[in-house]
Amino acid sequence: MPLFETVFQEKPAIVMEIGSAYTKIGFCGEAHPRFILPTEIESIRDVLKKTEKNLYDQAVDFFNKIFFDYLLVSPKDRKVSFVESTITTPTLIRESFAKVLFHHFEVASILFLPLHLVSLSTLAIDTALVVDIGYKEAVILPVFNGVQILKAWQAQPLGGESIHDGIKASLILNGVKDEILSERVIEDIKVRTCFVTKQARAVAHRNNESIQPCPDVDYPVDGSDVIKIPGNLREFALEVLFPEDNDYLGLPYIIIDAIIKCPVDSRKELAENILLIGGTSSMMGIKSRLRDELRTLIKSEFYMDRLYIDDVKFHNAPSKPNFTGWLGGSIYSATDLISNSITRENYLKHPKIPDWIFYDGSSTRNQG
Amino acid sequence: MDFLISQNYVNYVCQCGLLKPLTNLYFCRHCLNLRCSFCCHHEVDSHFCRNCLENIPSSEAKLRKNKCNSCFDCPSCSFSVLSARATTIQVPMTVKEKQEGEESSTTTSEASSGKMVAKKMYYLACLACRYSSRDVGISDQASQNFCWPEQEYMHANRFNTILNYYQALVLHDKQVKQDEKRRKTTNKSKFQSMTDRTGLNVSAIRRQMGFDKTVSKPKNKPASILPSMTEEVEELSEDIFTKPINLKNITTIEQRFTQPANQPESVKHLYPQHKNLSIKRSIRCRHCEHNVIKPEYNPTSIKYRIQQFASSHVPEVRIIKCYPLMPNKSAFITLKLTNPTMNDMTITIMELPTDDEEVMMIDEMKKNFESLTVSSKSSLMRPSLIEDPRIVSCKPTAKLELPDSSFVINQRDDSAEFDDEIQTDKKDPKFVIWRKANKIAIELSITPNDLKVNDEVIVGFTMHYTYSTVPSTTAEKKDSQQRHALNARVYLNVGNIVDYSTK
Ligand SMILES: Nc1ncnc2c1ncn2[C@@H]1O[C@H](COP(=O)(O)OP(=O)(O)OP(=O)(O)O)[C@@H](O)[C@H]1O
Ligand SMILES: [Mg+2]
Ligand SMILES: [Zn+2]
Ligand SMILES: [Zn+2]
Ligand SMILES: [Zn+2]
Ligand SMILES: [Zn+2]
Repeated sequence: MPLFETVFQEKPAIVMEIGSAYTKIGFCGEAHPRFILPTEIESIRDVLKKTEKNLYDQAVDFFNKIFFDYLLVSPKDRKVSFVESTITTPTLIRESFAKVLFHHFEVASILFLPLHLVSLSTLAIDTALVVDIGYKEAVILPVFNGVQILKAWQAQPLGGESIHDGIKASLILNGVKDEILSERVIEDIKVRTCFVTKQARAVAHRNNESIQPCPDVDYPVDGSDVIKIPGNLREFALEVLFPEDNDYLGLPYIIIDAIIKCPVDSRKELAENILLIGGTSSMMGIKSRLRDELRTLIKSEFYMDRLYIDDVKFHNAPSKPNFTGWLGGSIYSATDLISNSITRENYLKHPKIPDWIFYDGSSTRNQG
Repeated sequence: MDFLISQNYVNYVCQCGLLKPLTNLYFCRHCLNLRCSFCCHHEVDSHFCRNCLENIPSSEAKLRKNKCNSCFDCPSCSFSVLSARATTIQVPMTVKEKQEGEESSTTTSEASSGKMVAKKMYYLACLACRYSSRDVGISDQASQNFCWPEQEYMHANRFNTILNYYQALVLHDKQVKQDEKRRKTTNKSKFQSMTDRTGLNVSAIRRQMGFDKTVSKPKNKPASILPSMTEEVEELSEDIFTKPINLKNITTIEQRFTQPANQPESVKHLYPQHKNLSIKRSIRCRHCEHNVIKPEYNPTSIKYRIQQFASSHVPEVRIIKCYPLMPNKSAFITLKLTNPTMNDMTITIMELPTDDEEVMMIDEMKKNFESLTVSSKSSLMRPSLIEDPRIVSCKPTAKLELPDSSFVINQRDDSAEFDDEIQTDKKDPKFVIWRKANKIAIELSITPNDLKVNDEVIVGFTMHYTYSTVPSTTAEKKDSQQRHALNARVYLNVGNIVDYSTK
């Protein structure tokens, strides 16, 4: 038996992760995606608003661009792997993509890979608490000994979008004109000027104690206008991820919630194997802040006697956080496991995409 | 003039049901049908660099990861290509240079003799945004081609170790599983089939099922990939609270994504990026697998080896004028029709199919295609699928009075192109206003429905035309020419209802 089929070398599988904001595309067995580009399928998360037809046509246009303008390969008879957030990707999306790829582009096979699970392969481990902080939401899923603990998953609308909304609202309050605050400008302001502050300063800010704010930034837009970004906005814009209210739905809380829903004897290992993925995890200071918040929580009176963990530890994947999931897909698809794909022949016989990923039977798709 | 070309007033119905202007449609000479880019099959034909126009064979393009060796995109503005700029520097003449041509073994004796010589050095610069390779600390190079230092990817080694480990692990798993199967074929575990199906984390499932933990480990993980978890987490620098930041030094997210591997945050790490190649594509009819577009291989050529543009096969319809547009009032519309072929065409203008007829047409098309698929199943060729044909999304909002007879448009005659003479033919029916070479103008009457002011007035008709296939090879006799009766559905957007009452 050859080590792995020669097909891999001749026609490596195409690996894609289509996020609500950015799409990562490339070939299996490669150490990073070839391209990261804005996702141009508007209805990707608003499927209920639009008809499937519409989604189909949008997907055709977008995949055309991916194959012929970026990857420069004929999709016909190629293998394609999709890395997707199992729990939050609507079935309609998955089925439309399969239809577009099999019918319109005539790909050879499709493999759907659960984002959180495959992310672990970038570290060669099989237990981790995977925290994906992307654009629409933060999704947390523990994986223990290679099995996703689906009953423990958590998702909250904490991510790029909520940060951008906050920045925009605050700048408009400061008198900045709405017209110049396009999504692109807001994102640029966030990426280049904002950061996640330290816990102590956040607490002080919350309690209205006076602290010396960090320096303001003059941000030029379109050559003429200049927006003043106050130090307070730079420092506290990302506090939307750490809300302190009675709902306890901030990032640290939902991480702890995920752990607490896991069997007692797995918790310590999970807490010491946290893997942060998703573009928002690139924000400066977020990891150290999360560590401090989690340490405070596990030592708090409420959790002390329930959690049975004493510390948290984080992993460093050999990737930028926004493509860790993609990279997992790249590794998986470069092994013999790609032979588990749904082939075109099988799809044409039974045009249904099975939810393989729920192989442990406890489908929790409708949870939450 | 701009408004005339920027919007499509005349659209044809593609076989797949989409409305497109004639210039965006193809005509398959084998199926004798209109096709569009949506319902055709696209393929990568050849790779080339659109900057230096080098042609790159596909296998090589793959090795080069679809990048051009010699051209670089500006990582800063990504609008333009970097150009090599020369500077002259004075360097001390070395022994080696003195003995030019000789086989010098004393390269180490570079003790300068005090003499200085001029030497050309190159760096890369962007003409659009003033970026230069010197900004990021790349030293100037002695030759402008192929010798720019490649950027190294810091995770490359770790990634390769992990990838190899997984490939070996999965393979080992597969072997173990096969051995097990061979040993106990009789009492198959019900879980095994599930593992077969999912394949995801085979070893994990086996362990969960209580299989021996040791068998799933082919060898211990290489030490180099072991721990990546740390208690140490990069701390936020205190500077951020006190020091002002300089936006000019911080990259935008677009700049970061031009280098997806590294996504540098500082402009100091914006390295020149090898330019991505482009492709020429060929387009194939899905029904018969024949090409409608096949470009020439040479990147500098904009010609095609095969080009079946609909505009050179199907009569073209243009609106000359249409007025006055009022609800329920008849209006005159003047159309110009052009015959692009070398044979005379007989045209009959007919009603569009009704909704039921359209559904029937679509069913028929599907059936035809299925029979085609079934008949060719025995052969090795796997026929393509077709896009499900669709009902035309546009509905006419005016009624067209059909002309009472057919008419002929003369063949294209390139020599008559410059004749200005307008011919009138007494035999022509009344609605023909004039004819000139292969063009004809007709006047028809339309009645918009009960529309409101500013509503669009859309009329449609089926154009029945005769089409003669040209013998494709000279060997074929002229009399092998065949005449076909074809249909094209045309939708005209003639304008909006005007409010005449206020005038
Ligand atoms: N290198 C980076 N530096 C800073 N922020 C980044 C970086 N890369 C991505 N982001 C931010 O992360 C967010 C996108 O992350 P990601 O690509 O993981 O989202 P997604 O997968 O498209 O969304 P989702 O997972 O919610 O569907 C955006 O808000 C973007 O601004
Ligand atoms: Mg994502
Ligand atoms: Zn079409
Ligand atoms: Zn080039
Ligand atoms: Zn530039
Ligand atoms: Zn055809």
